[in-house]
Amino acid sequence: MNPRLARLLGSIGLDLLRSLAIAAGIVVFTFFVIRMIPGDVVDLRGIEGSLTYSQQTAMREELGLNKGWLEQFWLWLGMILSGDLGTSARYSTPIADLLATVIPSTLALGTAALSIGLVLGIGLPTLACLYPRSIFVALVEFITIWSITIPTFSIGILCVIVFAVWLGWIPAIGNFTVPALILGLDIAGTLAKMLHEDMTDIQTADFIRTARAKGLNRAQIVLRHILPNALTTVVALIGLILASVLTGALTMEVVFGLPGLGTLALQAIKGRDYPVVQAIIIWLGLAVVVANFITDMVQKLVDPRLRNL
Amino acid sequence: MPAVSTSRAGGLSLPRWSRLTYIAVFIVAIALFVSVAGPLLVTHDPYMFGASMNEPPNAEHILGTDDQGQDVYSRLVTGTGLSLLYGASAALVALFLGGLVALLAMALGKVAEGILFGLVDLIRAMPGILFALAFIVAFEPGVESVILALGISFAPNFALITRATYLQQMARPYTSAAKVLGASRIRTAFVHILPNVAGALITQFAIVLPRCIVSESVLSFLGLGVSPETPTWGRMIASATPYTEDAPHAVIAPIIALSLVTFSLAIIGNELRTRFDPSRRRIAL
Repeated sequence: MNPRLARLLGSIGLDLLRSLAIAAGIVVFTFFVIRMIPGDVVDLRGIEGSLTYSQQTAMREELGLNKGWLEQFWLWLGMILSGDLGTSARYSTPIADLLATVIPSTLALGTAALSIGLVLGIGLPTLACLYPRSIFVALVEFITIWSITIPTFSIGILCVIVFAVWLGWIPAIGNFTVPALILGLDIAGTLAKMLHEDMTDIQTADFIRTARAKGLNRAQIVLRHILPNALTTVVALIGLILASVLTGALTMEVVFGLPGLGTLALQAIKGRDYPVVQAIIIWLGLAVVVANFITDMVQKLVDPRLRNL
Repeated sequence: MPAVSTSRAGGLSLPRWSRLTYIAVFIVAIALFVSVAGPLLVTHDPYMFGASMNEPPNAEHILGTDDQGQDVYSRLVTGTGLSLLYGASAALVALFLGGLVALLAMALGKVAEGILFGLVDLIRAMPGILFALAFIVAFEPGVESVILALGISFAPNFALITRATYLQQMARPYTSAAKVLGASRIRTAFVHILPNVAGALITQFAIVLPRCIVSESVLSFLGLGVSPETPTWGRMIASATPYTEDAPHAVIAPIIALSLVTFSLAIIGNELRTRFDPSRRRIAL
């Protein structure tokens, strides 16, 4: 086999193994941390008075909560490996159904925020590089400082007070545009900061001088030579950006009263609904692991320098 | 970065501080003063319910009262100290867990490094707030759980910086010199490399500190932070949010305090990073 191909495959294989190990780690960790929570859903419903003692025993038996941790773990592992997410201990509905009702709205918020973030976060530094004496440089600086210093949480609450309670422009519960904008600006600032620094660095590189000597104009140099090189940094961080979008979306949902994974997770934690909490943490974690793996792979396909084992 | 106007030509001339940085330092200084002198500045017992509820600011209660009839100003003053204390404790836990443990793991060799950074990847793969939520619920909500949970979820920032700096330093002649003189890897790491990692770690501390303060308020806002009567900013925001229409001052006061202080700390952290941390771009998030 071609040695270069072998090296690429070997490197991707190692990544795959690492991702699998992390995925397994997430599954085991989540299960045992959640089991350490004192009191289970049956206790809580007992305190609330909705179950008699014999009903409690019956429910424990039905949910398998009377078995040892290790036994519960194996049963549960077999279950999720066969693709069954289990049922919510509180609502007696399949978790897959619960997730199916909330994931679209979280996904919509995340996608909207990510799109705003990518457009502004890549567009502004590119324009700033194309027109170095223009307003765009100041804009890049502004969103950079904004995202470093203004937490989405506090600006979110302020927006609710000002726009919903005082001005009445948006509904206090269930507004979608404002949280998407807040999150989007946050991502844009993070991206713009890195891209701007990278593009400034690359401008002084030898191959840019060569390009200029060949007679290329500024737009060609920026768009064909500087931007693609600077974008590799962004690609490398997509996994982390995704994780921060998800975290941000969860908080924004609670602040703006949107239905979604964040609201569901909070309810589930407060209601001691372990299976739901587990499912949410595990699936979000796996999403990040998969995203990281895919970015690693794409980078290695694109950039031969990263193929070292 | 914008906060600094760098002069790269002269090696010795440091970039000047911008006006924004001066303002930030001033605000942080005030916050520190308020935290220390808090008991002298309060006008009421911050824990006492008594007065009528949701009163707007007036002569008796300069920032009004909250939904429990507690004095917002006194709670804000007490909360400044508590929020800074809890935030700083969480950041310190992260610094020790991430920095020192990573240094030890690097010194111990490939196996320890592999295990520790596997854990780091694990923590980074889980959305931070959810991780902290699960952790806090598992170990009973309370100040200690919050600090520990935040400490663990921010530890990877320090661990990654430590590894990067360690590898850089190991390539330099003085570490080989230490080895030739018979120093063990652990001694080399803690006696010779640690002083060189310290700068990067302190810079990272300044970056993580405001995030810890915000995260504490987010957790309290979600009802899983400190106990309800503790007046940290997040807790105050959480208990006043349902009454935004009647008593907006009770939400806005802690929000402004939180925003001002985290803004200033972030500006200072960013300033430090621009000056002292060459590896800044890799760990930007």
